[in-house]
Amino acid sequence: MRAIRIIAVNTFREALRDRVLYLFLGFAILLMASSKIFGILTVGEQDKIIKDLGLAGIQFFLMLIAVMMSVILVSREIDSKTVYYLLAKPVRRWQFLLGKYAGLILVVLVNLVLMTVILVFFVWLYGGGFDPRLFLATGMIGVEMAVLIAFAVLFSVLTKPILGSVFTLAVFVVGHLSQDLWLLTRHLPGSLGRTLVSVLYYLVPNFERFNFKTEVVHQLPIPAAAIGLALVYGCFFTGLVLVLACVRFERRDLQ
Amino acid sequence: MKRVALPLCAIVVLLAGAVVSERALQRFERADPLGRELLYLPSAEMLELTSLGNRGLVADLLYLWSIQYYSKYQPHERFLYLETVYGLITDLDPLYYDAYRVGALIMQLPTTEEAEHKAAVIRLFDKALRNMPDNWEIAEAAGWDMYIRYRDKPEALRYFGSAAAVPGSPHRIKRFLAVWSNDEEGWSFDDALAYWKEVRGEAENAYDLAVCDKQIYRLFASRDEGTLGPVLQQWKFGHGICPDSWQQIIDAGWLREVPTDYFGQPYRILPESCTAHAIEDVRID
Repeated sequence: MRAIRIIAVNTFREALRDRVLYLFLGFAILLMASSKIFGILTVGEQDKIIKDLGLAGIQFFLMLIAVMMSVILVSREIDSKTVYYLLAKPVRRWQFLLGKYAGLILVVLVNLVLMTVILVFFVWLYGGGFDPRLFLATGMIGVEMAVLIAFAVLFSVLTKPILGSVFTLAVFVVGHLSQDLWLLTRHLPGSLGRTLVSVLYYLVPNFERFNFKTEVVHQLPIPAAAIGLALVYGCFFTGLVLVLACVRFERRDLQ
Repeated sequence: MKRVALPLCAIVVLLAGAVVSERALQRFERADPLGRELLYLPSAEMLELTSLGNRGLVADLLYLWSIQYYSKYQPHERFLYLETVYGLITDLDPLYYDAYRVGALIMQLPTTEEAEHKAAVIRLFDKALRNMPDNWEIAEAAGWDMYIRYRDKPEALRYFGSAAAVPGSPHRIKRFLAVWSNDEEGWSFDDALAYWKEVRGEAENAYDLAVCDKQIYRLFASRDEGTLGPVLQQWKFGHGICPDSWQQIIDAGWLREVPTDYFGQPYRILPESCTAHAIEDVRID
């Protein structure tokens, strides 16, 4: 556990030294600040547009941070052979990978909290009042990112950094479209086709399960069970992907 | 020094070139696509897929675009696709109150396709009520639009009934519904004016105030146009031609002064139909 913690802290420190991180963060803050311009252009309530834009911006920039940092930070260690020094110490391969994952989660978490506080501030500043439910929406974006980072870590041990980024991006897109796979099962005529599509649906993550933006923006009630089950679903999926990544990394020839 | 000056000069020259060419391009009138670009609007399903879980944001962007697109009123083919545009926005975000309200207001602009647009307004409001059954504000707005814009009392009563049925709706709606339902002639001008003044008093923001002012404006305009129309027709009957100005009628002793609307602007005389017409310029923004 100590090894994981040390690797996580070092991964976090390493990420903080990367200028790309601040670029994304800057763009996200700029987007939220400029949401007032979109609000001015509207007829009616401005809060909705500011919240929609802010939440979408947080999701988009966190996704970029997750995709870029995850693949870079893990692959860099392997490509630059620095992983040898680490693995020469009493550190197991799975501990190295979980440490990297925990460090990346920490990076995303810090950014998420920062962006959320800024969004809540801008909503309040632009006259929308204090809306604590925004923390719920962004918290669930955080869970989505935890699953996505797990995939990024898996791809970083499976393939090259560029391909890993592309695959992780593809998971993000597919994860938001997978709901349609489920709808497709209802329209397929044969039971075999239906079964195959159902299996495929359960194999890819359904990121829409973590999407509570509409409910938060329109002040709709959200069942506690839906949030709880989404958290459970996220934990299981993350665990599954991380186990796959650890198994692959254990068997990988690092020469 | 030369190292700095040369790139700086190049930057200034290139920037100046870009500005000059852009200004020259502004003089070219672009071909008017007559709203045909709207034929290529993607479906709600397609937009939802590409939004990756941000359908509310896509609805916002479409709504903002539509406001700019329809902000300048002139008869145009693009108005044929109003229902498509606002149908798309409200498919993406079925709880988008402003989109229903503003979409219906734009559809109510006078056009040659009056009957079709009225049917579209009703369909949009009905969709709003299906998606937001607890929202009495949209039902009340629909009722007033039906009454003031289209003089359609049965439709107006249907919407007021829906508004009154929502738990927690203001008492004034129930009161109004009761009075109106019992009165075959409907509300008088004074009743309607008192009602809108009461609503104006409850307005919480500039937007609500502007909506109330618009309704009051329409009330006055509707009443005055109804009164001034016969005067103009009588003049035309007697003189064989519609008067050029109100002054001719005042000089003849038929009117004491130039008739003005709620905001003090004189009514226009439309020579084609020889009717009085209010210049509606209450902006809601």
